[in-house]
Amino acid sequence: MSYEVTVEPTGDVIEVEEGQTILDAALRQGVWLPFACGHGTCATCKCQVVEGDVDLGNASPFALMDMERDEGKVLACCAMPESDLVIEADIDVDPDFAGYPVRDFVGTVTDIVDLSPTIKGITFALDDDMEFQAGQYVNLRIPGVEGTRAFSIANKPSDSRALELHVRLVANGAGTTWLHESLQVGDTLDVSGPYGQFFVRKSDEQGAIFIAGGSGLSSPQSMILDMLEEGDKREIYLFQGARNVAELYNRELFEALDQQHANFHYIPALNEPQEDENWTGFKGFVHEAAIKYFDNHFSGHKAYLCGPPPMIDAAITALMQGRLFERDIHMERFLTAADGAEEQTRSALFKRI
Amino acid sequence: MAAKKLNIKDKYRLLTRDLDWEFSYQDRNKAFPFEEFEGIKITDWSKWEDPFRLTMDAYWKYQAEKERKLYAIFDAFAQNNGQLNISDPRYVNALKIFLTGVSPLEYQAFQGFAHTGRQFGGVGARVACQMQSIDELRHVQTQVHAMSHYNKFFDGLQDWSHMHDRVWYLSVPKSFFNDARAAGPFEFMVAIGFSFEYVLTNLLFVPFMSGAAYNGDMATVTFGFSAQSDEARHMTLGLEVIKFLLEQHEDNVPIVQRWIDKWFWRGTRLLTIVSMMMDYMLPNKVMSWKEAWEVYFEEAGGALFKDLARYGIRMPKYADIIEKEKEHVSHQAWWTFYTHGHAAGFHTWIPTDEELDWLSEKYPDTFDKYYRPRWELAKEMEAKGERFYTKALPQLCTTCQIPMLFTEMDDPTQISYRDSIYKGDRYHFCSDGCKDIFDDEPEKFVQSWLPVHQIFQGNCGGPDVEDILRDYYQMNVGVDNMDIKGSPDEERWKKWKGVA
Repeated sequence: MSYEVTVEPTGDVIEVEEGQTILDAALRQGVWLPFACGHGTCATCKCQVVEGDVDLGNASPFALMDMERDEGKVLACCAMPESDLVIEADIDVDPDFAGYPVRDFVGTVTDIVDLSPTIKGITFALDDDMEFQAGQYVNLRIPGVEGTRAFSIANKPSDSRALELHVRLVANGAGTTWLHESLQVGDTLDVSGPYGQFFVRKSDEQGAIFIAGGSGLSSPQSMILDMLEEGDKREIYLFQGARNVAELYNRELFEALDQQHANFHYIPALNEPQEDENWTGFKGFVHEAAIKYFDNHFSGHKAYLCGPPPMIDAAITALMQGRLFERDIHMERFLTAADGAEEQTRSALFKRI
Repeated sequence: MAAKKLNIKDKYRLLTRDLDWEFSYQDRNKAFPFEEFEGIKITDWSKWEDPFRLTMDAYWKYQAEKERKLYAIFDAFAQNNGQLNISDPRYVNALKIFLTGVSPLEYQAFQGFAHTGRQFGGVGARVACQMQSIDELRHVQTQVHAMSHYNKFFDGLQDWSHMHDRVWYLSVPKSFFNDARAAGPFEFMVAIGFSFEYVLTNLLFVPFMSGAAYNGDMATVTFGFSAQSDEARHMTLGLEVIKFLLEQHEDNVPIVQRWIDKWFWRGTRLLTIVSMMMDYMLPNKVMSWKEAWEVYFEEAGGALFKDLARYGIRMPKYADIIEKEKEHVSHQAWWTFYTHGHAAGFHTWIPTDEELDWLSEKYPDTFDKYYRPRWELAKEMEAKGERFYTKALPQLCTTCQIPMLFTEMDDPTQISYRDSIYKGDRYHFCSDGCKDIFDDEPEKFVQSWLPVHQIFQGNCGGPDVEDILRDYYQMNVGVDNMDIKGSPDEERWKKWKGVA
């Protein structure tokens, strides 16, 4: 048994298991709430319940006052839902967040291509227009797989009837294996979306640095195509990381854009190029390419990171040591079932990274 | 789409007046004279993110309800003769250290945050410091009120503020805070707001307050909870300070690193006394100091420093030594107090056999090898009527002011001595950490008011130790000090409990 908890003002939705605290569920599902002590004595995680019933748990009477209990305040680190909930937390809504409603769609597969030896590009025709912000993702229901799987949208928002996804085959991954081996053109799948807080902060005028790894090119592809289509004049940099030339997909697309647009710069990086590929570009990890390109000075930019957790982690360190900080770093981590295995103690230093 | 609701941040901004103002006819640098002299560069105070958003109105409302609850419990504790429900009169001696050593630090924190808040050009930091300052004043008041009940029934609690200013071992916590308060505003914030509040107070408030609960002291547990509800704000302020400094300018990074090195070392030295309270002074044990250290410092602090590494901050200097010290410091400290028990404002004792076994179990690598034999010897001597008190006054470390009781961590039979010569005089230190701190700011630390030096210079009365204890420290000699065995505290307890 689990409950659905909507976190206002961002509208993020989390699933909370019976007996699980709201904070625990939120942090595990990538939704940041303010917190410190984690055991009901400090009140940093105080939230307002707008709708629904909650067990207050072991909130200290000094951290959650009687008058606050009467007003429907709870401590997220102790509170356990007893119904579906709407809570309001002390978190900021991004002014660039459009808040398009999540809807259900049926997608019919129109095309499947091998982008690289491990990544397929799958294109669907949707049964209705989907409004989304470039960078957001959809949830896909895959036959025989419990729950849903998240994939970032690779097409630009103006192609609102189409849905392009980049799917990397995950070893022993039930969902991606089915998509790679069983999905056929003409099949239909249930899709819901758009989700996520990863999108271009267009109100910010600083140059945009995109760092993408593996199939994490999908979101940046959508974001960059969208910006260039709108005639965005800021400097845009795409660092694309891959193992070798065969894995460096959609290279021609971005090389052509680099030629056409003076403000777009494409910098691919390969960490293990094959001898026979005659690679003359950057050799090394993608964050190292960014350090070299910017001579370790990133301030005055916005950075958008998309890819597997180790790449994101290395990129954040590179950016921060090059003086670009949390408020200017946005990211989408591509987690697989294997990534959740190792739980780490987190400090409260950073909110989102 | 419906109009977006205001989030708490916007509400806070709209509901509070902007307390800042432009300096149109005065020089701004003269209004904030200490903002630049430490070398810290602030380029944009508007990047300060309010670590908590509490209006003054809400603040008073919350604190008033906390006080109501707290004092109701104090009253109930007093009316029910709560002092009779504690585990053992030995426990109260930990409270004596708390009241003379820790509560006055809360008062120093109140003064320090009031002063420091005034020095910041950014309004967000000023308001946050102001609230913390008022919190700290509340903490010292509630602690004094909580412990005043014990003062009616036990010795050694009667003159805590006088003792804090004069007694030899209390110069350790006092000089720690004096050092922080005599520093610039940003160093104060890194020292107290970040190093002490964020990383180290957890070791005081979580395991020690649990210790109070295990030993039947509901008054102390309750003020602990009440204070802990404020600590969260203090911790988030400490974190915001460190992020803000590191992000404002890259030149701040090495300065902040130096302060982190200094204040983590000073903090761990100060916590030596807490280690001893946990391992030796709580009759009912919660966890060993070593276990508390691993949970609250190594795990929590390790995660923090992993994140700080992104700013180019590394683990505090001598973290490797600190890791080894958890096996030793509580034993070395309690032995020192045991042997100086005639000069302490609280009682000391030999651990019971069960307690010695517990220590052997908790410290399998060190206790039996280095420390148990001493206690076995002390037991033999006591049985012969020769309870040992040292005749000598200890040599003190010029930086932390702790007696030279720490050993080399790779050879726990060798006391660790370091020294530096400055302007022709030799200064002594307990460790490389304390020597480095001196070498970095010798003009500050040559002024250390070292209790033993002061005694030998004749500034504390005397000439005998007993004269100093009685006249200068205002201890009740023969009552407040010496072993718990045969003390008036013990005799009264036996009478209350009806045991011979």
